[in-house]
Amino acid sequence: MAIECLVLGAGQEVGKSCVVVTFGGGKRVMFDCGMHMGHRDSRRYPDFDRLLADGAADYTAAISCVVITHFHLDHIGALPYFTEVCGYHGPVYMTYPTKALAPLMLEDYRKVMVDHRGEEEQYSYEDILRCMRKVIPLDLKQTIQVDKDLSIRAYYAGHVLGAAMIYAKVGDAAIVYTGDYNMTPDRHLGAAQIDRLKLDLLITESTYAKTVRDSKHAREREFLKAVHKCVSGGGKVLIPAFALGRAQELCILLDDYWERMNLKIPIYFSAGLTIQANMYYKMLIGWTSQKIKNSYTVHNPFDFKHVCHFERSFINNPGPCVLFATPGMISGGFSLEVFKKWAPSEKNLVTLPGYCVAGTIGHKLMSGKPTRIDIDKDTHIDVRCQIHQLSFSPHTDSKGIMDLTEFLSPSHVILVHGEKPQMAFLKERIESELGMQCCYPANNETVSIPTSQNLKINATEKFIVSFCMDETENDPQKQNLNFGGDMPQGCRTEGVAEGVLLMEKSKTPKILREDELLHSLGMETHFVHFEPLHPSSIEVKHTGESAVQQSSLEHLDCE
Amino acid sequence: MEEPPLLASTSRATASVASSSSANCPDPMDEGPSVSVPGLPFAEQLRAAGRGASSGSPGGPEAQVQALASISRGIYPLARAEALRGLAAVLETADAPGGVVELCHGCAVGLMRDEDEGVRLASVRLLSSMARDMCTNVRIEAFNALGKMQRVSEGVLLQSLSKKVIKPNTGSGSIIKGEKVPPKLIYPCAAGIFAHGIEDEFHQVRTAACKSLGALSKLSAQYAQKALDLLMGMMNDDTEAVRLQTLQALFHMATYGCLTVQEMHMHMFLGLLVDMNASIRDATRKILGLVNLPKLQMFKSAIDVLITSLEKHQEEQEIYSVLFSVGKNHGNFSANIAKHLAKEISMPSDGELILDKPRIKALLIVSISVAFSDDKHNKRDIPEVIFSHAISLLGKISCAIGEVVDQNSLLSYFCQRTGIPFWETKLPSRESEGCSVETVADIRPRIEKTVKSTKCLDEVLTMQSVKSIIETVERTWTIRKSCNIRDVRNILRTCKEELRILASNSSGSTGAFLSFLCEYLDAVQFIVEILRSFQLDNSYDLGPTSPDILLEKLDTSIRRMKCCYAGFNRGMEIQVCELALLANLFGLSKVGIQSKLVLDKLHWVINRLDCLCADGSCELSYFSREIKKAFDANFVGHDIFTLLELFHPKPTTDYGMLKTISADLQVRDNDPENSSTYVCGLPVAVSLYISLCNISSQDRLWLRMIVGESIQHTFLELSSFGGNDEVKSCSTIIPFYATPMACSFVLRACLVMECPYGSVSIRQECNRGPSGSIIELSDELDVYFVCTKRR
Repeated sequence: MAIECLVLGAGQEVGKSCVVVTFGGGKRVMFDCGMHMGHRDSRRYPDFDRLLADGAADYTAAISCVVITHFHLDHIGALPYFTEVCGYHGPVYMTYPTKALAPLMLEDYRKVMVDHRGEEEQYSYEDILRCMRKVIPLDLKQTIQVDKDLSIRAYYAGHVLGAAMIYAKVGDAAIVYTGDYNMTPDRHLGAAQIDRLKLDLLITESTYAKTVRDSKHAREREFLKAVHKCVSGGGKVLIPAFALGRAQELCILLDDYWERMNLKIPIYFSAGLTIQANMYYKMLIGWTSQKIKNSYTVHNPFDFKHVCHFERSFINNPGPCVLFATPGMISGGFSLEVFKKWAPSEKNLVTLPGYCVAGTIGHKLMSGKPTRIDIDKDTHIDVRCQIHQLSFSPHTDSKGIMDLTEFLSPSHVILVHGEKPQMAFLKERIESELGMQCCYPANNETVSIPTSQNLKINATEKFIVSFCMDETENDPQKQNLNFGGDMPQGCRTEGVAEGVLLMEKSKTPKILREDELLHSLGMETHFVHFEPLHPSSIEVKHTGESAVQQSSLEHLDCE
Repeated sequence: MEEPPLLASTSRATASVASSSSANCPDPMDEGPSVSVPGLPFAEQLRAAGRGASSGSPGGPEAQVQALASISRGIYPLARAEALRGLAAVLETADAPGGVVELCHGCAVGLMRDEDEGVRLASVRLLSSMARDMCTNVRIEAFNALGKMQRVSEGVLLQSLSKKVIKPNTGSGSIIKGEKVPPKLIYPCAAGIFAHGIEDEFHQVRTAACKSLGALSKLSAQYAQKALDLLMGMMNDDTEAVRLQTLQALFHMATYGCLTVQEMHMHMFLGLLVDMNASIRDATRKILGLVNLPKLQMFKSAIDVLITSLEKHQEEQEIYSVLFSVGKNHGNFSANIAKHLAKEISMPSDGELILDKPRIKALLIVSISVAFSDDKHNKRDIPEVIFSHAISLLGKISCAIGEVVDQNSLLSYFCQRTGIPFWETKLPSRESEGCSVETVADIRPRIEKTVKSTKCLDEVLTMQSVKSIIETVERTWTIRKSCNIRDVRNILRTCKEELRILASNSSGSTGAFLSFLCEYLDAVQFIVEILRSFQLDNSYDLGPTSPDILLEKLDTSIRRMKCCYAGFNRGMEIQVCELALLANLFGLSKVGIQSKLVLDKLHWVINRLDCLCADGSCELSYFSREIKKAFDANFVGHDIFTLLELFHPKPTTDYGMLKTISADLQVRDNDPENSSTYVCGLPVAVSLYISLCNISSQDRLWLRMIVGESIQHTFLELSSFGGNDEVKSCSTIIPFYATPMACSFVLRACLVMECPYGSVSIRQECNRGPSGSIIELSDELDVYFVCTKRR
């Protein structure tokens, strides 16, 4: 028995996450079905053809189920293509929030692709809707029996709203696929949480395989300081952000600060996706952090007190304000429009996310401080505003990966969703520090993991009784040590017992006590008596303790 | 002979435990191949500890944990360390149930103060693993325990702040582990405990982490500086409790002098001064009053923000005192402010009253504070104009300064600095020195001196009037026979009244002495009355002046003098003894009372007097000497009445450190309108608040409760009182048993003290109650009860 792990995407790279795990008995689970944002050709989707045996064309037969961890496009982007174009009709699982937010993300991206870039349509809006209809929602810690042998369970992963880590089990073989996760809680999401499981394989993301991040408090402090300084000087703050996650995180931070400092400056959200997303956040409160869960009965933290209604004309208004605008890297759209207006004033501030794709204005602003940015031949912007860079990454860092791996203690680890050199570094650490086997396959590589096999054996009553007796005889105190009913009955007892394992043909193996052996084999006990000249006699069992014999004989020789 | 096998087995245990627990705690001892047999090490340790576990089959984690816990209390440091390591391993392998976790926690905390470094390290390690536990409560406890660490190396502390594993530049971390393997990493287990703790999802954990961060910062300066960075970040936490705890931690650091505010923290810190939350503002100000701001720019911005805060919240007067202390702590910066302010004030203003502005007020206070700072040379630099303006803000300033100087001295100081003549005649000490003080440097001691001298002045005045009163009393005593008894009574009463007035105005020893003197005059009055009644041949003058009653009153009065004051000097005790002598003599003089008891008492008093004058520092009065003689002669040939005439009251004025012993009794929620209820015949609870002054632990106090005929005494255990030596207090509920069969009653409660009369036992009480004579310490208190109506 072995687990075959085929990495279709996110092997030694970030993007189009897709891992197909084949358990013994032909069970196949596809974890995530993402697309690569950096490619425009066929490389943007995982190579699904590899799933099919030669000549076959039915994906539904080839795969038991698809599980999506969260709604980011590099984890879900290829799903409509897979179900509607490739024709997979089997079950698709994702958590409730993912199911709710995924169509928004997919449709937004489809629009950008088709309407703005004028690319060929890969799938239509109807395809998205049809695809979502096939989805079976998951709840946290709910065990779903996909079929007779395969069961899956979702655990909270932090990262974004509705992100989950997936535990899958077939027979004795069990694995965890983490998806993206975050081990440190932030303001609106909690930290990843999982039980101690007995695992053969852990497939973990490794975005920050080498980086150890410091406390985010210092960054928050700097951010608030910069924003406060800007608005108290009468400037405007532009926060380009994606609709989900970062916008909410920063807004909670600002709203809280505004409240404490009693600031009256308006905070705006540019309309559209963000406002819709806020609505979802309000509804899916159960998936947020502890603090929000505790307080939402009194006040829903996504009902931001200081966020005001926004209209496009406001960007020309005088006076300070804070504006959240999409998209996050100022690659176009509304955030670019605002940037054009606000960048020429040195009083204003633009807060950039930690990472911007090359080619975007965000990227240009981050690399050095340009004074002039050319948008095209005719238009250029004088950049005099201040630039503040703020990296809030919802990915766990190297320490977090190590912590989780140590906590789960699987026999094997596979790293995906990271960059090759860093992954190599992390692999070394996991192997040397945690003593686990670790690899980081490239795309379209298959890794085979041997699994442990459990064997059922019978035990005789005498053996069990003697085992228990030993314990109580040797230490009468121990009876008092059972801390009430606190101990789970089925937990691993790490006691050591001695017995004889008897394996016979066509019979279940059996473990029995030493003195039962002869009886069960139908043999008689023989005793050997030594009768030396010395008056003392020594009795030795036939099982023979030659050392004793010898020593006693030596003893006799000396006599 | 037991040690070698023990060490051998523990090191083997190390190998297997370490391999089964965590490979990121590389152990130099871990040389052999990792044998991952989880049960084995524990069995071996059991054997090593001599517990006779031959089978090596402990069942379940609970047994292992218990065994390890017991080993962790053993005598060998290595075994203790290994036991803790084992506990950490247990925690990691099993789904540790509640009991186990608590036990581990207990062990780790217990061994945190172990003398062996290895053991301490191991316990830190155990706690660290718990600080990353998935259970919230475990994490809270772990952080609380971390805060209790007393001795821990700087390396571990620094490591606990940073998630990155710090590489040591020297191999100092490995003393216990032997020299063979220089450690590559020191304490990877401790890495980033706090970094995680302060980012925890649960605010309880964050609070605990903050607290521990602050508590540990007194152990290392370098750590404190790094911890400050983390704590500063916590100020943006979304939970108020965490923010307050953070401020408390900072305050803690500031009081231990390990808080150095850096420029990068100023924005955060100053933001807190204008926070919406009043308690946050208050806590921040407290810290600001203690910290040292290294740069003028920081100082100025702090002052500016304080002023803004003052403008917003005018009602917060504490801001002035913070301004003062900040100014005082930074003498040269404040001097700078003072110069600028002087210029600003001197400029012609356009009719506005600039002094009304909070800004000017605040800056004035900062400028004034220079005079009180430790920087000597800055004090001269305060421009005169500042002082002249300061006079109008005297109230605010003296309020801000607090207890350092009183308002009058401050005013005189300002006036002197500005050259305005000040009512110097009122302060006699100033006259001797004259007003020619040039430097500011000695102004402070001088102000203090003035304060002291005014205090002295009060005392001197009091003592003068006391002296004249005593003279009056003595004169009255001499004329008592010649003039009317009414006049004598009147004079004595006036004297007492005057004393009471003086007593009510003074405190401390003087007050105690004055009330003592009152008692003394009471006694003198009784003596006068008694002597008078003797003269009158006691044939008809019965009633309240009857000698028996008077004698009893005198006795009580003397007992009060004796027992209600502590810290007598010898002269005073002699005085009291003489009065006692006289009282006993009166007793003797009465026909038929010449009992053994009185003689015993007399004997005791004479002995006591002898004892007091034994070293010759005091002399027995003529009266005492005569009585002693008469007593030795069994009063044969001595007329008691002649002896009585020899007495002469002579109160001393030297009172030393006299203290009043007193008590106060209060009953909760009870007055005639609002009686407590009771059930006839059943005990009823009396809830009392008792406060005691200057009661020593040897004193025996009783609560006396009287209802009609029935008296109940309840002994008060002094140990149940809280407070210091001077004032003790407690709230207690005392049952009263003999409730009468009536629909209501009044209970009279009073605190009484046993009054030991040497070895002379006066009467034997058979029932529960104080032995010997008693004095009432408090006023009698009425407690009202009404019967509950029952059908």
